[in-house]
Amino acid sequence: MKNISYIILFSLVALFSCKKDNYEAPASRLSGRVIFQNQPVGVRSDGVQLELWQRGFSLFTKIPVFVAQDGTFSATLFDGDYKLVRLRGNGPWIDNTDSISVKVSGNTQVDVPVVPHFNLNNVSFNKSGTTITATFTVQQVTAASGLERVNLYLGTTMIVDNTRQDASAEKVAADIVIGQPGTISVTVPAALASRSFMFARVAVKTNGVGEALFSAPHRIEFK
Amino acid sequence: MKNIKIYIGLITFMSVFSACKKDFLEREPQSIVVEDQVYGDPKLIEGVLANLYNRIPTDASLTNRWPEHTAYDDAVWSGSGNAGDEYRNNIISYPVDRWSLWDYGFIRDVNLGIEGVQKSTKLTTQQKDQFSAEFRFLRAYDYFEMVKRMGGVPLVTSPLVYDYSGDATSLQLPRSKEVDVYDFIASELDAIASTVGNNGSTSRANKYTVLALKCRAMLYAGSLAKYNNLMASPITLPGGEVGIPAQRAPDFYNKALDAAKQVIAGPYSLYKTNSSNLGENFYEALTKKTGNPELILIQDFLQSKGFKHGFSYDNIARSLREDNLASSAIAPTLNLVEKYEYLDGTDGTLKTRTPDNSDYIYYTNTQDVFANKDARLYGTVIYPGTSFRNLPVNIQAGVALWNGSSYQIIEGDLGARYTDGKLLTGLDGPQRSALDLSNTGFYLRKFIDNTPLASTRTRGTDIAWIRFRLGEIYLNAAEAAFELGQTASALTYINTLRERAGFGANSLNTLTIDRLRNERRVELAFEDHRVWDLARWRIADKVWNGSTSSPDAMLYALYPYRVVRPGDAARNDKYIFIKQVAPRFKAPRFYQIGNYYSSISQNVLNNNPKIIRNPFH
Repeated sequence: MKNISYIILFSLVALFSCKKDNYEAPASRLSGRVIFQNQPVGVRSDGVQLELWQRGFSLFTKIPVFVAQDGTFSATLFDGDYKLVRLRGNGPWIDNTDSISVKVSGNTQVDVPVVPHFNLNNVSFNKSGTTITATFTVQQVTAASGLERVNLYLGTTMIVDNTRQDASAEKVAADIVIGQPGTISVTVPAALASRSFMFARVAVKTNGVGEALFSAPHRIEFK
Repeated sequence: MKNIKIYIGLITFMSVFSACKKDFLEREPQSIVVEDQVYGDPKLIEGVLANLYNRIPTDASLTNRWPEHTAYDDAVWSGSGNAGDEYRNNIISYPVDRWSLWDYGFIRDVNLGIEGVQKSTKLTTQQKDQFSAEFRFLRAYDYFEMVKRMGGVPLVTSPLVYDYSGDATSLQLPRSKEVDVYDFIASELDAIASTVGNNGSTSRANKYTVLALKCRAMLYAGSLAKYNNLMASPITLPGGEVGIPAQRAPDFYNKALDAAKQVIAGPYSLYKTNSSNLGENFYEALTKKTGNPELILIQDFLQSKGFKHGFSYDNIARSLREDNLASSAIAPTLNLVEKYEYLDGTDGTLKTRTPDNSDYIYYTNTQDVFANKDARLYGTVIYPGTSFRNLPVNIQAGVALWNGSSYQIIEGDLGARYTDGKLLTGLDGPQRSALDLSNTGFYLRKFIDNTPLASTRTRGTDIAWIRFRLGEIYLNAAEAAFELGQTASALTYINTLRERAGFGANSLNTLTIDRLRNERRVELAFEDHRVWDLARWRIADKVWNGSTSSPDAMLYALYPYRVVRPGDAARNDKYIFIKQVAPRFKAPRFYQIGNYYSSISQNVLNNNPKIIRNPFH
């Protein structure tokens, strides 16, 4: 009898004293958009990141927040005060090292304004035969920046950029008139010509900046 | 009972008196070697040096970081898939901290060594100078490894000692300018060249090793000064921590060329012992340690003393393995193979299709497609139809069955027979998704030991890792001369190297930078040069642009098939070759401009507010 009561006592201790994790997981969601003139800025998927920093704890290291290709981002965090930093030399916009104070309390929205080097306006696509032509206007936003090239990318999924694409065409800066409508064409690869649709995006790249600014992906119906 | 008490009392009494000596707390420790002992004994100092030589950082070598050979474009990872190594076939983009190196543990050990040697009372002046010089060589080497990854780093030349005052600002040094680090390396190496001694050694630094390091470092500095400033938007920091002024380029190239000329005029010569088989000759030049006049500095191993490694175990061709489990991890790519030119000087692209692309070209033997290629191809890569350790490899992906209008590809198990009784798939593959089997149709020969049982785990191999050899010095000299406009002498250096590879005398009479770069790629493949060369030429982001349609960013395989086409004697049982993206390779290589200078760890930034970040991250 005595033995049994010990066993019960030990089991109770074993069951209740220990939890695998004594912290609640973070539950607040910070989300937002990277915007220019109140429009989201399109980028390469998985390429551009923002940084979140929080002071006051012994571990001081950044929380990288990647920007999705449509210019949105999100992170799940603990409530608290954070600094949102536009990482230098990373996105297709001019460096601005001023941090943005963000108070996360429950689900929080924040927009991150940026000034791109170049912007793309009036982007449209049309298909004739096996050729897809994009019409676009490059707008110089930052006077000091040098235009490198404009690319047209075709892909089979909605995630289309310079690394995930099935066909591309390029126009170097010398062939582009800034502020005037320009066109760029690409031939659909023979292997993909029988598909019923593809996605296309136009990107403008600045000299000395790793990432390009993209237009929104556009679905082109083939049939 | 009574007696026992007396005995115990007696023993206690005796031991108290006998064990105790006056200097009980001041004895020489028996289990550790103290500083004065180390720096009073040349043998122990050599032990300290051996430890440091072994810790010289590399990106890829034969030991702990050997799988990194497959992280670029010379090879595909073809080993086991479950050990966390497969990711090298699927690197979406290189992380910005991939090459990050903040090796101040090494620098501190060197600085303590220099201080210890200088303070020592038991060494002669000559010994002090010699050991100090060797420590300074290692420090310069480590600074070179850091500056090529990080740009300018703090130059610490004496041990930093904390005084426990609560204020560490005196220890917080800012980053030096990138150009100053290269100048520091040059001046250090100049200062020690005459005192370093060790004449004739290949495992310790001597005068020529010092010059070889200087040659490489100055070449890097020269090309950074030139090519960084040719970028549309050069990568710089306002304080010069990153970015070398363009006007320094000729100066650096001149220093590189001078150092190279001195090494070439030294006691070394290209290995040409096996003149009957130039391919084997090149292989021996990389693997033989005795009677090899080409070696300048190696990381040596010695099997008989148990100092060995498993590079051959991991990378031996599949059917030749002598142990179970691993083999074939580093599978060279078709990209590399096609960079080896034909001996008549034409482009090395393999001829697998007729010129009008209407049909395959049919070869009688699998090796015929590689006929008349640069002998260095044989010395670097095991390709279909060749042998290793005098045993033939058996590389055949399957059969191509003619169905009247096109070929149907049939592949099977290793060593399987087709219904006509002849071979279907070779014992060495390639297969599309098998582990520990070549995925590209090629195996590595360079640095693989052909001694019997060297590819077992129990015996292991003691093939040396080559840090510097004369072949590289010739290429450095050629590049520096070419950049200085001395094309004639650049051609002499290049042609000397090409002659050893089977090209005739004076095989080139014009030179372009692309040709020179290609020569560097084929001569120095798998010797930890490729990624650094592309970076210093500032073309890595263009060659590895992350695009699936780029022939350089994607890695290719060559699959040989036996033709089954009864009734067509000109084609039946002949071999055709199909080029394709290596099936296990998933993501194109993507090197971004943020990779040119690696990120500095947040720990370092937090501890020292004077350190500024590198551009782009």
